[in-house]
Amino acid sequence: MMRWCLSFFLFGCLAVVNALSSSGNRLLVVLEDASEKSLYSTFWSDLKARGYDIAFESPKSDKLSLFDLGERAYDHLLLLPPKSKGFGPSLSPKNIVDFLNKDGNVLLTLSGKSTTPSAISSLLLELDLHLSTDRSSVIVDHFNYDTLSASEKHDVLLLQRPGQLRPDTKAYFDGEGVLAFPSVAPHTLGDNILIAPVLRAPVTAYSYNPKEETTAVEDISATGSQLALVSTLQTRSSSRFTLLGSVESLQDKWFSATVKAPGSGKETNTVNQDFAKQLTAWTFKEYGVLKVGKIEHHLAQDEITAEDLNPTIYRVKNETVFSIEISEYSNDKWVPFELPADDALQLEFTMLSPFHRLKLEPAYHTENSTVFRTQFTVPDQHGIFSFRVNYKRPFLTAIEEKHEVTVRHFAHDEFPRSWKISGGWVWIAGLWSVIGGFMAFVIVWLYSEPASAKVKKNQ
Amino acid sequence: MQLWHSLLQLTVLASTALPTAVAASAWGFTDATVSVHTKGTGVGAGFREAIPNNKALSKPVSLGSADTLKVTLTAQEDRTAKRAHQVFLFLQDPQTGLDISYPFSVKDNGKSRIELTQKDLPVQFLSVSEPLDARFLIGSFGDSDAYNGAAFKLTVGRNPDEPVPTVEVSRYGKLPEIHHIFKTDAQSPPLVITLAFLALVLAALPVLGGVWLFLGVNLNHLPTAFKSAPLPHAVFLGSLFAIQGIFFLYYTSWNLFQILPAVAVAGTVAFVSGSRALGEVQGRRLAGLR
Repeated sequence: MMRWCLSFFLFGCLAVVNALSSSGNRLLVVLEDASEKSLYSTFWSDLKARGYDIAFESPKSDKLSLFDLGERAYDHLLLLPPKSKGFGPSLSPKNIVDFLNKDGNVLLTLSGKSTTPSAISSLLLELDLHLSTDRSSVIVDHFNYDTLSASEKHDVLLLQRPGQLRPDTKAYFDGEGVLAFPSVAPHTLGDNILIAPVLRAPVTAYSYNPKEETTAVEDISATGSQLALVSTLQTRSSSRFTLLGSVESLQDKWFSATVKAPGSGKETNTVNQDFAKQLTAWTFKEYGVLKVGKIEHHLAQDEITAEDLNPTIYRVKNETVFSIEISEYSNDKWVPFELPADDALQLEFTMLSPFHRLKLEPAYHTENSTVFRTQFTVPDQHGIFSFRVNYKRPFLTAIEEKHEVTVRHFAHDEFPRSWKISGGWVWIAGLWSVIGGFMAFVIVWLYSEPASAKVKKNQ
Repeated sequence: MQLWHSLLQLTVLASTALPTAVAASAWGFTDATVSVHTKGTGVGAGFREAIPNNKALSKPVSLGSADTLKVTLTAQEDRTAKRAHQVFLFLQDPQTGLDISYPFSVKDNGKSRIELTQKDLPVQFLSVSEPLDARFLIGSFGDSDAYNGAAFKLTVGRNPDEPVPTVEVSRYGKLPEIHHIFKTDAQSPPLVITLAFLALVLAALPVLGGVWLFLGVNLNHLPTAFKSAPLPHAVFLGSLFAIQGIFFLYYTSWNLFQILPAVAVAGTVAFVSGSRALGEVQGRRLAGLR
């Protein structure tokens, strides 16, 4: 009895510890200088409080490996900028991309204080994120800097929290307050469908290389909002990669700093801690993970039995109902998925190309899922069709469902009968009048006395 | 009058008080000119305007496809010419918010100049309907307030014969809805026409009957026939009607496998009884009755 209680208790503890991320809690933090660990103590304790099992490793360590016997040894990877020329052989760009391909999530941080190693730059190139060619640029903005800590160098940017990326996306990073981003290494974004920017520089910002002794910038590749500070990328297998331009913004110092923008004269506290929580929570899959539950399609009729569900064959012009159940992982549980305001979950009924692309409307909610449904008429074209739900959106994991069905033609006894077609009445009447005439002729031929014979007799 | 006077006083007060209250030093510009030079025309031709110090030009500036926009200014920190770290010409599409900055080439004495053609603009700016906002951004390190003020409105002129370049970007999002367009159902002619032709067809039977009556049709031999061979005649006629009835059932509900045995039975009966009945008819013919 005692043992049972104990094991239940332990199990409960494990469940609590494992609670937050939807994809595991093993987090590897790669930190070159162990003495720097204390600079981020609040950040680490926030992560631990959310159930992460943090392993700190130096990139120089021999036993450091992302994989164990070909499988991921960690679920998530947090890379702090190295002091030396790179992360070493176990964290080569190829290994990190392999880690992403095996559904590991990566948060990569940069710093404008040191030159970014070329290994990181080539990793980012793989992902279509671009650093400046000298890899040691830093953003300055003479309009939105912290006057208290960077009155001379203007390299501590003050930014509003990002809102929605687009009206049809979920806002996972929004909120009130001011963010302080010290010495940011900016990047620019390639035209890649998988990339979603989170935080861009203010329009008046620009980047320059502080090591070059010029008194004015004249040769720049990107300015203003073309410079990104925080960007995210979701691979096709929905593993997540986040690039944070300023590792200093995660330090204790900036979690609770007081800052003052030029001109405004008002001192405010930064909300970096909240933003860091949002950023890690999204990257490590605490938010925006979608799961498909039941998928059902059937003919539109009032009573549905188990045999009527998900038939393999439909007829052209059948009225069909399709429904899909979707849950979203939020914080530590599955909740009903709510569509963003301007967005639509769409069902395609395709054979090579879509014949129908229809909006799936939320029909009802269960405790932890929403059921989306639509009704439509099967096209008047027979063949092998499929119900497809291809829902890929920024910040949400991809849904790609494909269910094949056969669409057959009308059977010979499913067409309307000929007497129901008014145009056919003439032909039907013609047929039966011939038959009637024939029968009358038979009787007349059998039993009629010839008129001429009668005449003869009378004579 | 009184009101106007006090208002004027207030504005004068405000304008003198404002710069001193906000900051001790600020960036600005002087000697700013904007000119547009069209390729192939002589020197001095084209648009040329001076921009008032730290203010915006009221006239819009138009940049055609063969034109070069040239802006010069002298950056000032507290009304003394000085080299600034950031001297940018900032362009923004007021509708989309898309922005881009072009750095001036700056000399030590703060004199800065920039030349722009349409080739330097991003393609998105070539198709805007509203004029672009052009601003000057002048700032540098240190305490002085940076300058960010409107400079002029830039209209991008396009040759209407040339196609506007467009950019194709692919982003995940909802796609346009598709509703399958069904083939139209088979149509029947108007009911009136159908009924008219139906009446014509059905009229054939009375016409036939009438013609037969005119020719003297009668059933005078029916009693004789049934007296001499009652069974064969009844069965023969009955089987003929039965065959037609089977065909009617085939038309409405039966299938081929149901009618084949039925027709076989009725056909055999018709054949056997028919030969007897027709024998009787032959007898009447031989007797000279027909």
